[in-house]
Amino acid sequence: MLFLDGSMGEGGGQVLRTALGLSLVTGTAFSIEKIRAGREKPGLKRQHLTAVLAAAEVGDAAVEGAAIGSQRLTFKPKGLRAGDYRFAIGSAGSTTLVLQTVLPALLSANGPSTVELVGGTHNPLAPPFDFLQHAFAPVLHRMGAGLGLEIHKHGFYPAGGGQWRATITPAAWQPIELLTRLGEPQLRARIVSAKIPSHVAQREASMLRARLKLRADEITIDEVASPGPGNAVMLRLGFGEVTELVSGLGDRGIRAEDVAGNVANEAEELLTANVPVGEHLADQLLIPMALARGGAFRTMTPSLHTRTNAQVIEQFLPVQFAMREDAGAWRIEVQSR
Amino acid sequence: MAKSAGHTVVSFLGVSLDRGAGRERWEHWRPNVSICQHEDLLIKRMILLCERRYSKLYDQIAADIATVSPETVVERRDVALRDPWDFEEVFDKLFQLSRDLAFDPEDEDLLVHMTTGTHVAQICLFLLTETRHFPARLLQTGPPPGNQDIVGTWQIIDLDLSRFDRLAQRFAQEHQQGESLLKSGIATRNAAFNELITQMERVAPASTAPILLMGPTGAGKSHLARRIYDLKKQRHQLVGPFIEVNCATIRGDSAHSTLFGHKRGAFTGALQDRAGLLRAANGGLLFLDEIGELGADEQAMLLRALEEKRFLPLGSDKEVESDFQLIAGTNRDLGGAVARGTFREDLLARINLWTFRLPGLRDRIEDLEPNLDYELERYSAKVGRRVHFSAEARRRYLDFATSSGALWRGNFRDLNGSVTRLCTLAASGRITEEEVRGEIVRLEADWLRDGHGAPEHVAMVDDDLLLLEVLSEEVVAGIDRFDRVQLAEVVRCCRRHRSLSAAGRELFAASRAKRATTNDADRLRKYLARFGLDYEGVAASR
Repeated sequence: MLFLDGSMGEGGGQVLRTALGLSLVTGTAFSIEKIRAGREKPGLKRQHLTAVLAAAEVGDAAVEGAAIGSQRLTFKPKGLRAGDYRFAIGSAGSTTLVLQTVLPALLSANGPSTVELVGGTHNPLAPPFDFLQHAFAPVLHRMGAGLGLEIHKHGFYPAGGGQWRATITPAAWQPIELLTRLGEPQLRARIVSAKIPSHVAQREASMLRARLKLRADEITIDEVASPGPGNAVMLRLGFGEVTELVSGLGDRGIRAEDVAGNVANEAEELLTANVPVGEHLADQLLIPMALARGGAFRTMTPSLHTRTNAQVIEQFLPVQFAMREDAGAWRIEVQSR
Repeated sequence: MAKSAGHTVVSFLGVSLDRGAGRERWEHWRPNVSICQHEDLLIKRMILLCERRYSKLYDQIAADIATVSPETVVERRDVALRDPWDFEEVFDKLFQLSRDLAFDPEDEDLLVHMTTGTHVAQICLFLLTETRHFPARLLQTGPPPGNQDIVGTWQIIDLDLSRFDRLAQRFAQEHQQGESLLKSGIATRNAAFNELITQMERVAPASTAPILLMGPTGAGKSHLARRIYDLKKQRHQLVGPFIEVNCATIRGDSAHSTLFGHKRGAFTGALQDRAGLLRAANGGLLFLDEIGELGADEQAMLLRALEEKRFLPLGSDKEVESDFQLIAGTNRDLGGAVARGTFREDLLARINLWTFRLPGLRDRIEDLEPNLDYELERYSAKVGRRVHFSAEARRRYLDFATSSGALWRGNFRDLNGSVTRLCTLAASGRITEEEVRGEIVRLEADWLRDGHGAPEHVAMVDDDLLLLEVLSEEVVAGIDRFDRVQLAEVVRCCRRHRSLSAAGRELFAASRAKRATTNDADRLRKYLARFGLDYEGVAASR
């Protein structure tokens, strides 16, 4: 039984999600305390509870403390099962984070799985569906794992109600190295809208053209099916072997120009850094690389989020992360212990 | 684990707050959808109380909840309300619902949502939760501060928690004040009487139904009726006057006219319209003492007036309306009167919904001492001079007053008379043993003689009714009884004469005889003007 301190590092839901995923992979039971300690409303929130229950289903786990506001949780998986799953989550929680929780386990299972997800697909503080599709899945593929994705309905805050499906093929892990960009960066933007006036997407497109010198044919504007209104701006940055995706969400009271402007700011920062792996992908790559027991990438200064994630992974798997500055950037490497 | 897996909510569908069509509905706060959107509140079961005509709205809200909260099972409960603002109906339906749903607090963590539904519904939900008919905590939701978001705020209120003790304390304090008012501030010691007052303090402000006060003469029925009036007036439940009449004094022909009024010319001597006491009591409280003395015709008319709030003045073909609180007093066993056929059974049924039996002074003899002090205070306040017993005199008086030899046939009225006599005789403001000895002899002699006459109320009531014809209730209530008698006589005189001068001559005849010249008309005009009246107005309203 592993004992974790839920207040370590950033102390958010990431510690919990990583612990759940790797507990399923390794069959290691764990107990976590001080979950979201010191917050105004400490303990588990609904999205965390959804993640716990999803993981319990996949791993046939015995759970104690699975309740809203609980600051202590014990999780004992009995056996990992490939299969067909369906997880529905309320609007405030992201379906991509639920998949992120169970994905390491299903990639390590003894057969293919499908996961049907219902809820938010483009939420604040979570990778959008498009990130999984364009940035994460291709890297997984290169590492020997299969993640097929199809989306039927988008789900935006506050209505939620998106629907998508992930098809997971267990991995034959191969370590990879992502150290340099190949060729000129390729920029492609996609703006999605549902049930809002069309000028919003037009203004966002204008902003991207002005700021990033995108040509009209490099921007796609899609009206998508969704139960509620919503808008998202997504920009793919292709660096040869690897693609990063930065995004922004429209919201009440925020100007369309600012939504697109913030995306442009983040893209410019990444372009200037001259590394192949951005902040978002860096965060998601830690677990697959640890499962592959090796690999390295160059990225920007790792966030506290990423560092905390690495610490949790080291407790479950026989690996060690090395993070060091390297010619104006950071090199993150994982090695077997 | 069942309980920790989320809450069950009982909530009214918000027919205005939950409304919204198209995508705009996602841009404003809808309380019942919002309950299911909070990241720190998990609703397992949502029971929406709904009227059939709002089915469409229900369907939309249920669908939207399913989208934002797949964890929630939404159930519809049809609550058919004829009038959602009718307290009795709403309470009844919700009470029934609490029975039907039969929540087990061991299985479900129940929340009763207070933010939707009419105010009446909210009050009923509160009451049913406070009384544990819903074994629940209250859930209050609110719109987002500053319109930043659409999800808003939520708060759970546990009525069992001690911080609501203070609130409960304030209610208790108010009840105490009400009880003290009913007892005229007298610290009564008799347990049965105190219990009666406690009940009355709860009944009187809560009910507009008639109240029957039973008890021997002098037990304080009239006094208590007045106090109930004061209590209801203090709590803003009455706006009209307090009208008191002893039915024993209005027997015979004039009874109908005194109570229900008459039309001019209805009978010989009916020179003017007369409103009657029931009409005068409109919006106020009518105390009918000795109700058992009421004649058969008047009983029938009173019953109609209570049931329909309307009745027919003598000689009139048009009914008049009056809505008043009735308190009836009796020293007789009305059940016996019904058996003998002298009192209507249906009228008794109508007035004895709340019956309070006032014990006589002998049956609560431990209250004699505090009442003695009360009477002393009252006398002192009235005459503006402190009167008190010498220690010896007080001991002697109390010894006698609480002995078995003291019959107190006239109950508190006797005590009042006794104290008045003692105080009047105590020239120095000090009641001595000598005065007490004399008073004891007098009381014993009175009780030997047996039997007491009732005070007359009729003249007093007639004066007031006459004044109400020329002045408003508030103005009349503001005039001392001392002046009312005089003013009533002046009004009568004005109406008898054709001019101000003629009335003046009669009113000031004595002064006129003594002095050669005097301006009677001017004196009368000035007198009337003090009350905002003039001759023309007074005479014209006849």
